[in-house]
Amino acid sequence: MKTKVVNHKTPSVDGKGIMMGRPAFTDDLAEPNSLIVKVLRSPHAFARIKKIDISKAKVLTGVEVVLTYHDVPRTSFTRAGQGYPEPSPHDKFILDEYVRYVGDEVACVAAINESIADQALKLIEVEYEVLEPVLDFETAYENKNVIHPEDGIREMFPIGFEPKKNVAAAYDMHIGDVEEALAKCDIVVDETYYTQAQAHAMLEPHTANARLDYHNRLVIYTSTQTPYHVRRIISQTLDMPISKIRVIKPRVGGGFGGKQALHSEFFVSLVTLKTKKPSKMIYSRQEVFESSYTRHPMRMRMRIGAMKDGTIKAIDSDSLSDTGAYGEHALTVFMITGSKVLPLYNKVDAVHFGGRVVYTNHVSAGAFRGYGAIQGNFALESAIDVLAKKLSIDPLELRRKNMMDEGETSPIFAIMGEGTEGTAMDMDTCKLRYCLDRGAELIGWKDKYPFVKAGPHKVRAVGMAIAMQGSGIPYIDMAAATIKLNDDGFYNLTVGATDIGQGSDTVITQIVAEALMTTVDKVIIYSSDTDLTPFDVGAYASSTTYVSGNAALKAALKMKGMLIKEAANYLKVKEEEIVFDGEKFFAKDKVLTLSDMANRLYYNDNQHQLSATESYVGHKSPPPFMAGYVEIELDTETGEYDILHYVSVVDCGVTINPMLARGQVEGGIVQGLGMACFEDVKYSNRGKLNSNSFLYYKIPTMLDVKKLTTEFAESYEESGPYGAKSVGEIGIDTPPAAIANAVANATGVRINNLPVTPEKIFQGLNKRK
Amino acid sequence: MEANRYLRPATLEEAHQILLQDAKNVLLGGGLWLKKSTSSANALVDLSTLGLGAIKDLGNAVEVGAMVSLRDFELSPLLKDIQGGILIEAVGQIMGVAFRNGATIGGSVAGRFPFSDIITPLLALDTTVVFYPHKEMSLKDFLSFKGRLSDILTHVVIKKSKGPSFFKKVKTTALDFAVINVAIANVNGEYRIAIGSRPSVASLAVKSMEVVNGAKKLSPELIVMVADLASEELLYASTGAASAEYRKALARAYVKRGLEEVSK
Amino acid sequence: MKVNFNLNGRNVSYDIPPGEYLADTLRNHSFLSVKKACDEAVCGACTVLLDGRPILSCSFLSARVEGRNVTTVEAVQDDVDEISNFFSDEGADQCGFCNTGLALTILALRKELKNPTDEDIKHFVVGNLCRCSGYQAQFKAIKNYLEAHK
Repeated sequence: MKTKVVNHKTPSVDGKGIMMGRPAFTDDLAEPNSLIVKVLRSPHAFARIKKIDISKAKVLTGVEVVLTYHDVPRTSFTRAGQGYPEPSPHDKFILDEYVRYVGDEVACVAAINESIADQALKLIEVEYEVLEPVLDFETAYENKNVIHPEDGIREMFPIGFEPKKNVAAAYDMHIGDVEEALAKCDIVVDETYYTQAQAHAMLEPHTANARLDYHNRLVIYTSTQTPYHVRRIISQTLDMPISKIRVIKPRVGGGFGGKQALHSEFFVSLVTLKTKKPSKMIYSRQEVFESSYTRHPMRMRMRIGAMKDGTIKAIDSDSLSDTGAYGEHALTVFMITGSKVLPLYNKVDAVHFGGRVVYTNHVSAGAFRGYGAIQGNFALESAIDVLAKKLSIDPLELRRKNMMDEGETSPIFAIMGEGTEGTAMDMDTCKLRYCLDRGAELIGWKDKYPFVKAGPHKVRAVGMAIAMQGSGIPYIDMAAATIKLNDDGFYNLTVGATDIGQGSDTVITQIVAEALMTTVDKVIIYSSDTDLTPFDVGAYASSTTYVSGNAALKAALKMKGMLIKEAANYLKVKEEEIVFDGEKFFAKDKVLTLSDMANRLYYNDNQHQLSATESYVGHKSPPPFMAGYVEIELDTETGEYDILHYVSVVDCGVTINPMLARGQVEGGIVQGLGMACFEDVKYSNRGKLNSNSFLYYKIPTMLDVKKLTTEFAESYEESGPYGAKSVGEIGIDTPPAAIANAVANATGVRINNLPVTPEKIFQGLNKRK
Repeated sequence: MEANRYLRPATLEEAHQILLQDAKNVLLGGGLWLKKSTSSANALVDLSTLGLGAIKDLGNAVEVGAMVSLRDFELSPLLKDIQGGILIEAVGQIMGVAFRNGATIGGSVAGRFPFSDIITPLLALDTTVVFYPHKEMSLKDFLSFKGRLSDILTHVVIKKSKGPSFFKKVKTTALDFAVINVAIANVNGEYRIAIGSRPSVASLAVKSMEVVNGAKKLSPELIVMVADLASEELLYASTGAASAEYRKALARAYVKRGLEEVSK
Repeated sequence: MKVNFNLNGRNVSYDIPPGEYLADTLRNHSFLSVKKACDEAVCGACTVLLDGRPILSCSFLSARVEGRNVTTVEAVQDDVDEISNFFSDEGADQCGFCNTGLALTILALRKELKNPTDEDIKHFVVGNLCRCSGYQAQFKAIKNYLEAHK
């Protein structure tokens, strides 16, 4: 389909204003003179507050409020920003008698300035009963130390919640008999992999501010991915009507899943409701590391069985996930570890996927781009290369032989959804074969696999992985859009869809401009304000282009129909006789400009406001696919390696905005490389996160990845807006396996736990000597 | 950070007296990481009006004022000329440009930071540290000086030298601390080997230097032996960033490569 | 105490606590283009220009700018407008939180480096971390911008 706006280079609608420094982010929009809210945090990994004395803090001049667990509502909830009823256990209280990780909330103060707030924190006296923490997720199950012994917590529907056994969730599914199938195989690979609790490290720390407006309603500005879920959860936990709450999401300085859960909203809301004054809270960088969320670290045992000729017959994936102190996103991330990874090899006779998500006294794990798929991909795609080696088959050949193809399906889709049953679907678009071949070409696989010598102790090697993700959650995620026509013939577009920097404001504007046959500057978008914009679940599950975009497309087409009806009315012709080019209506020999018609509709003639609202819920979640290839140069004496080139060939359907789509892929690749190579999470033996600062937790810099090549496959997904699928997460999935495979190709050393550090490689090389 | 006063003393003597008055009176270098080690101070003492911001050619040496920024240090042609530019190569790997515009050479040396990338090559060269009131010490002596220093570091003086040099900073990302760093200089035929961030602050590998300087010829076998010795004679310890064993292996590898490089 | 300096071309005199950092002083006086991201002199988001050279305002004591010239994005709107076009062109604009600090660094780079190589450019901006873009689009944008100003 030829398009004029979609799939054309289009500058973002907001990049210029942001770079020029216009106030746009949450703290930029805080009321001046907001009370400063700070939280006292637990120094212990696991403790009970025996006594807490806030008397000295309360009387400090400049302190307005001090809150402990005695002063806040006692309703359990989940902080996870998900649809209702949430698939995450309601296991959190705003403030509790127990603290469950170093950094957990103990008390909250609000003062007239930061200095006094800090002093007030120091004046709060707490007597703890220090309890023995559970710091090893491999011994958490049925550990005698129970992290959630309290009453009043629950699952919203069965998710395998067994808190007395330290289990937040559990899942098990099988297709066929995997033991039987494995027994018949010529070769079985049996490997166990570990991934770490990656930190999002978004540049804008978590922040929220609250005020009472002149309707005496609570207005919360928050750096969030899910404004509507924030509104609902605040209403439920503070026991106030949803109608009394307004949540506005301003520009967000990065989320990646780390803001798909509530953070400071509770505290600023409570403070503002109590004092009637505006208040704000900004997480310090240390709090972002220690007291927000991380990726779920996992242990995955992967067994893959195949015949001598390379046909993969069975896959058994048995995993353990560490959700930390609270169970946000526990089950759903866990399920994606299987559901958005195992279907890649859809021709097997039998599959088993199962395991548990356990509590520990670590920082709470939550949503993070990839959402289980990156962990699962590391395990599966590493194991596939191990299998290829055992079979003496080229790893590309092995994948070509067994991987998902266009028009095929996997029974896993029907079984595994996100927290519930899934949705069967055929791969109407799957260019994986093309991606794999093209990527091999671009990296120079033929001439480089497995490695070539590059110096006295240097080798260059290549490694790769394939991946899939999803596009929204079918039958659960809903998005809506409203378009209104203004005088002069331009449009206001309001959507709940949440732009967190991924460009959804721009992409959705493009879709509407395309459908209304106009230009992007004539469609003014406003998003994510629960009073003014229609509903959207928020930015997660790679849904804004596919789900929110589809809603906007429907609304635009509805508006177009209304325009034509009005024009026909004015021109006194039949609707079928109207030809509309986006600016003018033609019928027979008559012409009417949109601008004229819009003015007349406002001021002169049959005046009424044209407005179209439409919603969309997906019936499938068409996966984007990609092949990722990496070339490294490795020092065989020290294990150090450089990342020379990362090639990504992606099938995301049509790219609504080709440059922004490339940005999503490349941003994901570099985050994935961060997890694969540099980002090491370290806890002390008392459970304190030592890697709690950018000084110790190293995210990639511009000098760390020499070259990225990104291409998109020609692909058109019928069910997507203008043929689009999604592209927000797929980029992050392949680097860990690609790097581990490249290192194995370079040295014969297999690293099964992330990150793949030079020291691990060095030790592996030494063992081989 | 919490501080009661900000002072710009008119003379070094005045500054010195202020520091002696109260242990919570803090001398400012760049002050960039001050808040990481100090949550509150009494007086913050700023020396930037005392003329310590110059790089001077002393003829046989270069004198660098304590308040010279790491960036100005990096851009100095005088310093680039010393020993093949090893100082420039090292300082350019410390954080980013904006950081180096704020951090000072005085703060970097006075702090004796174990992870310092500039101390290691300075140690491999002939470097003197000058204090107020008058005291001069070799950098080597300053690094092993025990006890609290109430003197003010005013200058770093580096003797000019020519010859090949080698510097390696092992790190994860470009903005990381060194896992280990190695500086080797061939100063008029005399080899100097300094290894830092082990994680302790830079030291000269004295025994290794004795062997290599006593040899008539630097054969490949000798170089391997010296590298081994360097990895044994100094103290290497384990931290979150690397194990002692790995640091030793890195020292061995890079002393070997460094000696090969500077003996060409 | 009072700190007197030239901010964006105007002489100002601000009342500050002695230990206040420049980022806070600037934001408290409504220069909201200055961002605080890590508050420990690592990420570069807080970069402002001091006498035309980039510094990390989150960790630079305000008292230190006495008598000197400070520039934030608010004062170089035309330049940043132009840089933003190059960023848009490469799809390098995502969340934007690192952009104001990076834009000022690019302006400083343009002044300081004559005929920089690719490596020179990367070394100059390596202190501006970005978690969204993967850097390549940013690098291309910067290179194109410098080319246009040869």
